[in-house]
Amino acid sequence: MIKKEAAQVVSVTPLSAPRHFVLTMKSAHLASHSRPGHFIAVAADTGSAILRKPFSVYMVNPDAGEISILFSVYGPTTTAMSRMLPGDSIDVLGPLGGRIFDPEPIKGIHHILVGGGYGVPPLNYLAKTIRASAPDVSVTVIIGARSANLLVGEDGLVAAGVEVIYCTDDGSAGVHGRVTDALLPLLNQDCRVYTCGPTPMMKAVGELSEAHHVDCQVSLETFMPCGVGICVGCVVKMRDGIFSRTCTDGPVYPGCEVAW
Amino acid sequence: MVSSVNMTVQIGSLKMRNPVTTGSGTFGFGSETKDLVPLDRLGAVTVKATTRERRLGNPPQRIVETASGILNAIGLQNGGIDDYLANKAPYLRGFDCPIIVNVPGENPEDFAYVVERLTAAGAADAVELNISCPNVSHGLDYATDPQLAASVIAAVRKVTNMPVIAKLSPNVTDIRVIAKACEDAGADALSMINTVVGTAIDPRKRKFRLANITGGLSGPAVKPVALLAVWRCFNSVKIPIIGMGGIACPLDAIEFMLAGATAVACGTGNFVDPTLSLEVIDGIEKYCVENGFADVNALIGAVTAA
Repeated sequence: MIKKEAAQVVSVTPLSAPRHFVLTMKSAHLASHSRPGHFIAVAADTGSAILRKPFSVYMVNPDAGEISILFSVYGPTTTAMSRMLPGDSIDVLGPLGGRIFDPEPIKGIHHILVGGGYGVPPLNYLAKTIRASAPDVSVTVIIGARSANLLVGEDGLVAAGVEVIYCTDDGSAGVHGRVTDALLPLLNQDCRVYTCGPTPMMKAVGELSEAHHVDCQVSLETFMPCGVGICVGCVVKMRDGIFSRTCTDGPVYPGCEVAW
Repeated sequence: MVSSVNMTVQIGSLKMRNPVTTGSGTFGFGSETKDLVPLDRLGAVTVKATTRERRLGNPPQRIVETASGILNAIGLQNGGIDDYLANKAPYLRGFDCPIIVNVPGENPEDFAYVVERLTAAGAADAVELNISCPNVSHGLDYATDPQLAASVIAAVRKVTNMPVIAKLSPNVTDIRVIAKACEDAGADALSMINTVVGTAIDPRKRKFRLANITGGLSGPAVKPVALLAVWRCFNSVKIPIIGMGGIACPLDAIEFMLAGATAVACGTGNFVDPTLSLEVIDGIEKYCVENGFADVNALIGAVTAA
C-alpha cells in the first residue's frame, strides 16, 4: 500500500565516498511494507525543481520502524536532503514499485548480485533478505566503481555471511576491471543474477547472463517524474515494442525482456 | 469537512459535487493511485487520452524538468477505445464519480467514432475533446484554426448528448476566437489551458533533451498564461470553463475561479502529490467559509481591478 507521509529524519550520515550520504528516517509504514527493489519518492522544498526524486530502499529496521536510503548529492533535492538534521520532517511517498526483486532463495542456487554506484544499496537489502530467509544458499555481491573511494553500499554484507567482490576501473581495490570480468567465471547452470546500477553496466550484465542462459533480474533506473504510474514519462522500450513504465510495470524486469 | 457551503457546480448537464477534477494525462485511469485518492471525493475524474486505435507513444526521453515546471512529450500512449471500454471503464464505474474522457483524434471522424463508442457504452459522463495535443502530428491544427475547431465540435455534437468540452491550446494568437468558434459549434464547455509548446537543450551534450524535440510545458511556470486565458474567455463566451495550468495549492485553484473558471483541474501537481485534488477541494471549501461565501459559484469571475 502506497502512503504519503511526513517522516521524521533520524540521521544523515556522510560516507567516505565524496558527496555520498545515508539518510535514515522513522516510518513504521515503510519499514513494514518495503521489500527489496522497492523505492520511495522524496519531495523537498527546493524552489524551482518541483518533482519528487526516487531512492531505492537501502536498509530496513522493522523493529525500530526505520528505513535508510543512500544517495549522492546531485541536484537541489539531494542537496536539501544532505542538510537535513535529526528531527526534521521529510516528505516521502512509498513504498513504490510494481514488479520488484523475486529472490527465490532456492537451495543449491548461487545468487549473484551485481551492482554499481547507487545501484548497490537495493542489492545490499536483497542480499541480506536472501541470506535471512535461506541461511544455506550462497550469495555473492559484486560491487563496481571507477575507483576505491567511490565504492558504496556494502555495509554489513560480510557480517551477514555474504561474499563481496570489489571491482574498480583503476585497480585501486579488488579486481582491476569491470563487474562483468568478475561475473563471467561465476556463471553456470546453477546461478541466478540480479543487477542494479548504470544502464550500460546492467546491459552488459544482462547480455552476459543471457548468453550463458542464466536468469537475470535487472532493476532499471530512469528519470521517474511521478513514481506511481500516472505520468507515463519513465518508460523503457521492451523487446515486444511496448514502452513500459519502469515505476509500476517495473522497476525490476527479466533482463531478456528489455530492448537494450 | 462539514460546512454549509454549496460546493456543487455545473458543466453543461454534468453536475459535479465540487469544482475539482484531474487534468487528463496527469491521473492515469484512476486506479493507479487507489491507495491515495478515493475517486468519489472528486468533482469528476478526467482520465488519460483515449484514441481510436492503441498508441505506443513517443520514445524516451519523454519528460524533463525545467524551472518551475516540466516539459512532456508522451505521445498519447494508451490502449485505445477497446481497451478503455473493456479494462478501464468498469473500474471507474465502481465509484460515485463522473467520468470525463479525453478524446484526441487526427480528423473529425476519429473524434466522432470514439465519442460514439463511449456514448453507446455509457462509459463516460462527458467528453473532453483534445483538439490541442502538441505531441502528435497534426495534433495542434484543430485548436489553432477556428473553423477546424468548429468542425470537430460539430462532428461530435451529432453523435452524443453528453456534455462536450473543448480543450483549448494557449499556443494561438487570440484564444477568444477559438473559444467563440467552439461555443458556436455546440460545445457545452471549454477547458484550458493545454500545455505551452517548448523545448529544452542539454548544453553539455549539445543535444535536445526530449526525443521528440518539442514538448508541452506545464506546472507552476504556466499558471499566469492559463489565468489570463481563462479570464479572457470568461469575458467572451457564455459556456462554463474548466481552468487548469500550474495549480499546486488551493489558492491557485481559487485564482482560476476568480478569473472565471467554474471548475478547475489539478494536473502536473498530481505528479508531485497525487493527493493534491483532495487538498484543493478542502482548501476551496475552507476559503469559502473564511471569506463568507455560502456558494462556491459566487467565486466564478469575481476578480476586480487592482
